[in-house]
Amino acid sequence: MRFLATILLALVAITPAVAQKKVGNGQVSGSFESTSIGYVNDKRLDAAPEDHFGSNNYMKVDYNNGRFSAGIQANAFLPVLQGYEDLADGYKFYLASKYIQWRDKNYEILVGDIFDQYGNGLIYRSFEDRQLGFNNSIEGVRAGYNFGRYVSLKGMYGRPRLYTEYASSWVRGADLVVSLADICGIQDKATLSLEGSYVNRFQKLTLGDDRDKMIFEAAGLDNPNLNMYSGRLNFGIGGFYLHGEYVHKSKDLNLDAVDGMATNGSAIFGEAGYSHGGFSIVATYRQLKNMATRASLYDDGTGNAINYLPALTRQYTYMLANLNPYQVYALGEMGGQVDVCYSLRSKENRYRYWNFHANFSTFYNTFSKRAMWRDINFDVERQWSKKLKTIFLFSRQEWSKSLGYQGLYASNIFVGDVTYKFDRKKSLRVEVQYLYADRHDGAYDYEGDWVAGLVEFSLAPRWSFFVQDMYNIDETKTNYYSGGFSYTYNRTRVQLSYGRNRAGYICSGGVCRYSPAYTGVNLVLTSSF
Amino acid sequence: MKKILSLICLLMGATTLFAQQLPDVSVENLDGKIVSLRSLVNGKPMIISYWSIACKPCIQELNAINDALEDWRKEADFTVVAVSTDDARLKAAAKNMATSRGWEFTCLFDDKQTLRRAMNVTQTPQAFVVDAEGNIVYSHTGYSPGSEEELFDKILELKKKK
Repeated sequence: MRFLATILLALVAITPAVAQKKVGNGQVSGSFESTSIGYVNDKRLDAAPEDHFGSNNYMKVDYNNGRFSAGIQANAFLPVLQGYEDLADGYKFYLASKYIQWRDKNYEILVGDIFDQYGNGLIYRSFEDRQLGFNNSIEGVRAGYNFGRYVSLKGMYGRPRLYTEYASSWVRGADLVVSLADICGIQDKATLSLEGSYVNRFQKLTLGDDRDKMIFEAAGLDNPNLNMYSGRLNFGIGGFYLHGEYVHKSKDLNLDAVDGMATNGSAIFGEAGYSHGGFSIVATYRQLKNMATRASLYDDGTGNAINYLPALTRQYTYMLANLNPYQVYALGEMGGQVDVCYSLRSKENRYRYWNFHANFSTFYNTFSKRAMWRDINFDVERQWSKKLKTIFLFSRQEWSKSLGYQGLYASNIFVGDVTYKFDRKKSLRVEVQYLYADRHDGAYDYEGDWVAGLVEFSLAPRWSFFVQDMYNIDETKTNYYSGGFSYTYNRTRVQLSYGRNRAGYICSGGVCRYSPAYTGVNLVLTSSF
Repeated sequence: MKKILSLICLLMGATTLFAQQLPDVSVENLDGKIVSLRSLVNGKPMIISYWSIACKPCIQELNAINDALEDWRKEADFTVVAVSTDDARLKAAAKNMATSRGWEFTCLFDDKQTLRRAMNVTQTPQAFVVDAEGNIVYSHTGYSPGSEEELFDKILELKKKK
């Protein structure tokens, strides 16, 4: 019944999506997103949720009138999908964000929920990721002023969102960008800027129970203020660019530390790139020390963060290459990646070209000095004609489940991907994948070998049908199968599928989504207006 | 449930048909300079396509547009803007790809996802067709080989209306 009700709700919601709207002299725009899953029991996976149903729904509406804008976002979990954190009873309908904003030529002021980032996000980033159930926006005030093109200054103050509630902390910050290229009059030839940011988190240390007080005392944490500073340099000329950032963080609690003591943190980020013609290369280095920064000292969870520390590794779109992604070790890691691209296109025929891409990334545990991750990979894409395209990818991933202390597992992944276009509308795409795990003393590494395949038939621009399977042929002998279709009409898209899903990205009909492990029927509806 | 339905009905009832304008949001270009999306409106129709490194169909769509661009431009004059939604993790890789692929587009990098939120893009790929005055006249989400032809058809419709 609830499944049907959700479908009805979705159909009602997409009705306005066929038109853009005007109210007075302004305009209303918005979006609706709904993911509903009917879970079934599956002996191969953990037990399905008791009520066998989950539905996450998001409705965002904005109003714009000249320099003025305002908006709200309402979320409804009916109940929340399996795998989402911090929703004990599962059901929730709440106002997830609201804002009023005035944006003038040189200044801006926003009151409401703030989504923003300073520099690379090492000391502050507030954003929303619905697939992960993540929203750490700051509820408060933000103001910014631009002194011509030369100097840009902004500041904010507020309390961070913690899942469906708010943290009991207050966050304030400021960000300054000085464009030396504009000041020196060389902005047409080069970019050169000096930047700096400051973020403070204030949270009383007396809000919790006796256990909290004991933890703070044992860790040596006696200051309710946490301060973070960032200095940055950006430079670019011709095809060359360089970015650098240094971060200092004052003493902060870190329960992952072996001795549990609160310590200072720091981060170094460096990136250099060069491009010429069809060739481009970028090298990135990053070092972290105690940089995980919680929005609240009294809470846990991945959503409890005010900064952003992503894994600087290649992001794959193929199933087997995404089985064991690198997880950042913010307490102490050092490493980086090199990414190289080269394209070669026929001068006679634009529909014939080669795209080459190679990437190498490695990260070390700064305490043990051991490698936690290594990935060397390359892919070759060949467009043979208007009709035929092939991709071959190889990746060797060495990864650890023990922060490097107990050595590395190794996976060698081979992917073949062929797309054939029958005519203007009909096309077929086939993926074949194989993962070969290294053996030690004749024993399999981790779960052993995998095979996977996907067949996708599209009738552009409306319909797409797919079947896929991922099978562990050694250890677990588990099939992760699925099949379904999608229908798209302008900005509205419906996808219905059934299958056993392992955590990871699922791509079909033009959209990729992250999904936790489950077996069941999945209905996804998105629309905007 | 009643609350949600009431909210949606209220929103539906409060609105009438209108062509949506591009938001006045500034993001970074390939050279690292901050540019306003509205400043790119130059009297020609425009295709705006949202993409990211982890979105394979997005890259397929951009490649398909780039392949056909020479033929299309013989029939209509328009520009293409590719907006990467990659955050700090993949922004460098996105720039790397955009420069090497030889895409004849204006490339923008919305790493803070300010523009994405302003244009209510929930999933990528999403492509918009914008008229010469900066009004959004068409949009589609998702990509299957051949969907790019729909974008060009809309550009031709705009040319006929002129």
